[in-house]
Amino acid sequence: MIKRSLLLAGQYFLLMRKVFVLPDKPRIFFKQIWIEMEKLGLSSISIVFIISFFMGAVITIQTALNFVNPLFPKYYIGLIARDSILLEFSSTMIALILAGKVGSNIASEIGSMRITEQIDAMEIMGVNSANYLILPKVVAAVLFNPFLSILSMFVGILGGAFIVSFTQIIMFADFVKGVQIFFIPFYITYSVVKMAVFSVIITTIPAFYGYNARGGSLDVGRSGTVSIVASCVFILLFNLILTQLMLI
Amino acid sequence: MIEIKNVYKSFGQKEVLHDISAVFDVGKTNLIIGQSGSGKTVLLKSIVGLHDITSGEIRYGNTRFDTLNFHDRKKLRRKIGMLFQGSALFDFATVIQNVMFPLEMFTDMTKEERIERANFCLKRVNILNANDLYPSEISGGMQKRVAIARAIALNPEYLLCDEPNSGLDPRTAILIDDLIKEITEEYQITTIVNTHDMNSVMGIGDKIVFIYEGRKWWEGSKDVIFQSDNKELNDFVFASKMAQSLKNITSQ
Repeated sequence: MIKRSLLLAGQYFLLMRKVFVLPDKPRIFFKQIWIEMEKLGLSSISIVFIISFFMGAVITIQTALNFVNPLFPKYYIGLIARDSILLEFSSTMIALILAGKVGSNIASEIGSMRITEQIDAMEIMGVNSANYLILPKVVAAVLFNPFLSILSMFVGILGGAFIVSFTQIIMFADFVKGVQIFFIPFYITYSVVKMAVFSVIITTIPAFYGYNARGGSLDVGRSGTVSIVASCVFILLFNLILTQLMLI
Repeated sequence: MIEIKNVYKSFGQKEVLHDISAVFDVGKTNLIIGQSGSGKTVLLKSIVGLHDITSGEIRYGNTRFDTLNFHDRKKLRRKIGMLFQGSALFDFATVIQNVMFPLEMFTDMTKEERIERANFCLKRVNILNANDLYPSEISGGMQKRVAIARAIALNPEYLLCDEPNSGLDPRTAILIDDLIKEITEEYQITTIVNTHDMNSVMGIGDKIVFIYEGRKWWEGSKDVIFQSDNKELNDFVFASKMAQSLKNITSQ
């Protein structure tokens, strides 16, 4: 188990050494970044929007239901909902969701290219296939996903506001006051930095499993599943590390 | 010219290639033949460096390939065109984009020049009016021809083909064989074709290397294969009744 993990880690870093080099043709590289931004980022906006809206509403309801101490002012519900969304939901939860959506996409795309010898064809031509296929995805995700995180913050709070005005669980004015009070702008920086780091995980781990896929379509599917599990574990691990580093 | 000397290749404890030496000549269609599992694909992939050999030498002209570093291999590979068994066309690109891909990556041609060169290569392999189709929208035979067009786009010095006519009907298979031979002679390329198709052996085998259980068992040409008394070679090449009767007629 340990030997296998070390072997995988070694293979991962060897692949990353091939990925993180200057591209042969910068013009093509920048073109690829735009394509990947559209494929990995823009196409994820709707799912981020829907999930953030409903989760923001649910977080607000649950906070309100558990907030029974009359000594605390009601606007604390808005404050807690806001901080939950800013600190954890908009980065970690969205990253976990993207690990599933974007990760499976990357693993299956690169995996099927591997088993149909398209990657070999690139290598024979003299193209650094790892750099050509993986680096634009990493850069696109690192640049675009923080915007998804910021979008998730707004939409999550909007979901909370919607449910408050719809159910009158607390006064709307209290919720708005809670959202505004004791605001720490660093929480946004923290969240954006976390999302940038998670984006590297979300793209490189599935790319690694896809790039090393062997066999047939079943193996590509299996590598997709394994890559999502591994990405999630590393997102949670790095969430802990970054929280320790940045908040404490 | 491509030369391999005393090539051994093992995967773990399993030895797949055992002491193989051969010279593949310029302007000739050199065939590597053998049964499925005999090691010919491993040999071809070792020649282009997709597998690292366990020991031995691989030379492209005067350059020893197997000891080159990553950067120098990349440079040399630009002189190599390869046709894969499943064509290996890029799913994300159209026919013309596939052919333009190496031009875009390795030349400073303008877009118009790239289009012109790609169209020339596609015309050379008789692919017309399919520029904007994706690989999944064209037939297997067309895919092979597009792959040949892509392989010759950069005017390679070496062309390697892994079972170029597998999965094709006999007529299309012969067309592909003829195309490979024509291109080889026209551009004076060193071509190696990996095949177990007997039509290819009889049709384009300027030089034939027979691999049996990972070893070089026989070497010759299509002209002398009929006279060979090598049992394993005869069992393989003349396995069908039609081939046997052809051999009998020829020997009479």
